[in-house]
Amino acid sequence: MSSTLVEIAGLTKVFPIGGDKTYLALQGIDLQIQAGEFISLIGHSGCGKSTLLNMVAGLDLPSEGVVLLDGQRIGRPGPDRMVVFQNYSLLPWLTVRENVALAVDEAMAGLPRAERKALVEKYVNMVGLSHALDKPPSQLSGGMKQRVAIARALAVQPKVLLLDEPFGALDALTRGGLQEQLMKICEETGATALMVTHDVDEAVLLSDRIVMLVNGPGSHIGGILTVDIPRPRRRMEVVNHPSYYQLRSEIIYFLNQQKRVKKRNARSVAVVARYGLEKVNLEIGFVPLTACAPLAVAQAKGFFQKHGLDEVTLVRETSWRGIVDGIRAGHLDAAQMPSGMPLWFTLGGGDRPSLPVVSALTMTRNGNAITLSRKFYDEGVRSLPDFRDYLRASPQRVHRMGVVHPSSMHNLLLRYWLAAAGIDPDRDVSLILVPPAQMIVDLKAGSIDGFCVGEPWNYRAALEEVGFTVATDLEIWNGHPGKVLGVREDWAAAYPNTHIALVKALLEACRYCADPVNEPEIQELLASRSYVSTDRRYLHLGHPDRLACDIQQPLREYAHHQFFGDGVNRPSRTEHLWHLVQMARWGDVPFPRNWVEVLERLCRVDIFSMAVRELGLSEQLTYRRSAIQLFDGVPFTADDPLAYLHSLPIKRDFTIAEVAMPPCSPRTLPV
Amino acid sequence: MATTGYRTRNGNAVANPLQKFWQEKAVTWLPSLAGIVGFLVVWQFLSAVGLTKLPAPSSLFTETRTRELLMYPFLDRGGLDKGLFWQTLASLTRVIQGYSLAAIVGIALGILVGTNRLLNQILDPLFQFLRTIAPLAWVPITLIALPNVQLAAIFVIFITAVWPILINTAVGVQQIPQDYRNVARVLQLAPRKYFFKILIPSALPYIFTGLRIAIGLAWLAIIAAEIVMSGVVGIGFFIWDAYQQNYVSEVILAVMYIGMVGLILDRAMGWLQSLIVPSDRT
Repeated sequence: MSSTLVEIAGLTKVFPIGGDKTYLALQGIDLQIQAGEFISLIGHSGCGKSTLLNMVAGLDLPSEGVVLLDGQRIGRPGPDRMVVFQNYSLLPWLTVRENVALAVDEAMAGLPRAERKALVEKYVNMVGLSHALDKPPSQLSGGMKQRVAIARALAVQPKVLLLDEPFGALDALTRGGLQEQLMKICEETGATALMVTHDVDEAVLLSDRIVMLVNGPGSHIGGILTVDIPRPRRRMEVVNHPSYYQLRSEIIYFLNQQKRVKKRNARSVAVVARYGLEKVNLEIGFVPLTACAPLAVAQAKGFFQKHGLDEVTLVRETSWRGIVDGIRAGHLDAAQMPSGMPLWFTLGGGDRPSLPVVSALTMTRNGNAITLSRKFYDEGVRSLPDFRDYLRASPQRVHRMGVVHPSSMHNLLLRYWLAAAGIDPDRDVSLILVPPAQMIVDLKAGSIDGFCVGEPWNYRAALEEVGFTVATDLEIWNGHPGKVLGVREDWAAAYPNTHIALVKALLEACRYCADPVNEPEIQELLASRSYVSTDRRYLHLGHPDRLACDIQQPLREYAHHQFFGDGVNRPSRTEHLWHLVQMARWGDVPFPRNWVEVLERLCRVDIFSMAVRELGLSEQLTYRRSAIQLFDGVPFTADDPLAYLHSLPIKRDFTIAEVAMPPCSPRTLPV
Repeated sequence: MATTGYRTRNGNAVANPLQKFWQEKAVTWLPSLAGIVGFLVVWQFLSAVGLTKLPAPSSLFTETRTRELLMYPFLDRGGLDKGLFWQTLASLTRVIQGYSLAAIVGIALGILVGTNRLLNQILDPLFQFLRTIAPLAWVPITLIALPNVQLAAIFVIFITAVWPILINTAVGVQQIPQDYRNVARVLQLAPRKYFFKILIPSALPYIFTGLRIAIGLAWLAIIAAEIVMSGVVGIGFFIWDAYQQNYVSEVILAVMYIGMVGLILDRAMGWLQSLIVPSDRT
């Protein structure tokens, strides 16, 4: 099972395209296929999926690198790598039997005639077409033709089955049936297969691993997903597996990202300097949540323009991962970030190299809540202790809870909340990453049992009666930081005046959001397709109608976003330290021995103060340093974070390490 | 209601085949028939009023010589004095000979040219140059180059008919879908098997198109060739001879023979094509 059957190493393919010009189709592809594995290649049209397949087939040869089958270099096609083509490629002048026999007779010329005949019949029978054995292909439907093609391919008993969009030309119903049939046959025969597909669901259903190719030119592998859904799989049942939607959204995210990269590459991104600002054309990333209000308002009400930022584009990402990738790649100038994300970047979270990110503004506070599935409510769960008791009573069941990102306040709050009641967030429940807008779908589908996420999703889950709010942030940590403005440190160094202007614009937008008079207008704005794209009755900046939001329970107050005010917007080192300690507690990042330096570089109070002064708001935005205290009453101060960390009963094995931060220089900024 | 319905259906069933046949065929035949009759009527009228010196169609029956030829096609008085059947048969034999040669050479050469790119590059300009030369232009050359008139006639047929066959075959071979080629490559089909299982069946529709075009051209060419090649039995020379002696109605009769044979040849070829190359290929 674990022996490598096909090995693709350092493969590059260049096509001549007339004249002296060449097109670099594939670059540096490395892939190993184990015997018995089913691999899918997925990517946009023209990304070189079929080219790669053809090179495994030997129909095309790599310009550089090798493809090995059983250690032998592939130099020409052969029946040990039989291909199933998208358009069936049956010979119309031969019957089904003759078509399959043509392959069998050629590839297995050594066998006696009777055995070859039996082989033909066996495989045609396997695809359920015995009745059509002597019919010409013209009398068969598309699905039947493809079944013949599969039978022909399997009958020569290839080492690898290569499928080039085998079901692309078929209608959905036929496709579904054939997928199951192919899966069954592959399981029975233990075939190794490499399939090119466009269809995300098909890839998840059939594959052991999914290889995602980025767009050409110079296409390479952008990621490989392992499908952990156990076999045998059934088409109707895999969707219920908890990994299904995650895998699916992972692939869709990848494909969307590729599309946007293409669009972005088509656009010029020269830096435009104006009015003494180093850069006025900004791309600012956000995730559709009620908390994106300051960005939406700054754009719609012209606060960006007012401060000279003429060409701001808000980039809507559906998941925090999009923000992470955008900031890392440098095509986002700035982004709305969960409050822990600047630290997470800086400390190299997600096993990536350290990328210092700074924050000069906290845009929102509060606005989060913890929702549990309705089934818990029906079984009498009303509070955290109830939930703990429920979990203890059912240790055999795995309860999954969705959070949006390891660095987000949701993850940290939920973990803190669970741990405070003695529930280990990694052992007693299972936390998985789900994009915010997908939480409710997953909750409905039962692939998660609860989640912690920003509004409007908790409120909406309650309104739709698929879940209930077991705790809001008012009860866990009232006034906790929600979303901050984050930019790369090298960006901040390269564009200091732009940075100040951006903070000024957003600070004014925050003030606008905090005025209850403006709430209906902002609701209307956020409900539109460019932002949250949902019904405006789900969107509330303050608390909504108290009677609307719970299932019979004594009612809680939702949302209570804070956008502006004393101590609301100033970046706080103590708060970032709290995040640092919590992320280290759960093993997401090491605890940096040089934490003082890390926080000093991250918290750009200087930029914030400058912005406040220039706006003349110094009187309104005072600052008072104080300890943080959450619902469990344990105080947190910046005095001795390690002692605090050691005192926590539930935690992972955290590491303490010197985090080497790259020196700050604007030159490191990618162009 | 039910019983009357049944009876009606029953009654119809008896009368149906004939009625149906007539209804279907009448629709397709009537316009054609009307066209022919109309043409003849106009022709008859034009001759009758003297607008043309061409004899009227009715002269086929009124002229004694012509009537004799019309009534006794199998007549054979020796020499060139033969009935029209024999005249036509002689021409047809020449066509078959030249055409068969053209088919063999054309298909073989076409496959070679279609499979070998270099050969294609070498020969294509030559072929394009030769194929534009009209059959009649070949006549003097062949008469000089070849020892007798019979061979010359056959060669003219050959040289006329070979181009469409050759070119269509070559295209057919070049147009073998990449998918079929890929199947052959993946299966590592032996050349002989590739030739018979993929190349020939795939190119067959093109080859037949060439053959069908060629048969029409060959028939056109024989008439032209025979007109120039005096002293042979054949419908072409018969026309020329009749014209020389001013038997115009005989010319008209011979022309009708030519048209009929041409039509039959084309239809026969089409039938053969439909027999060998099924139209429902996908």
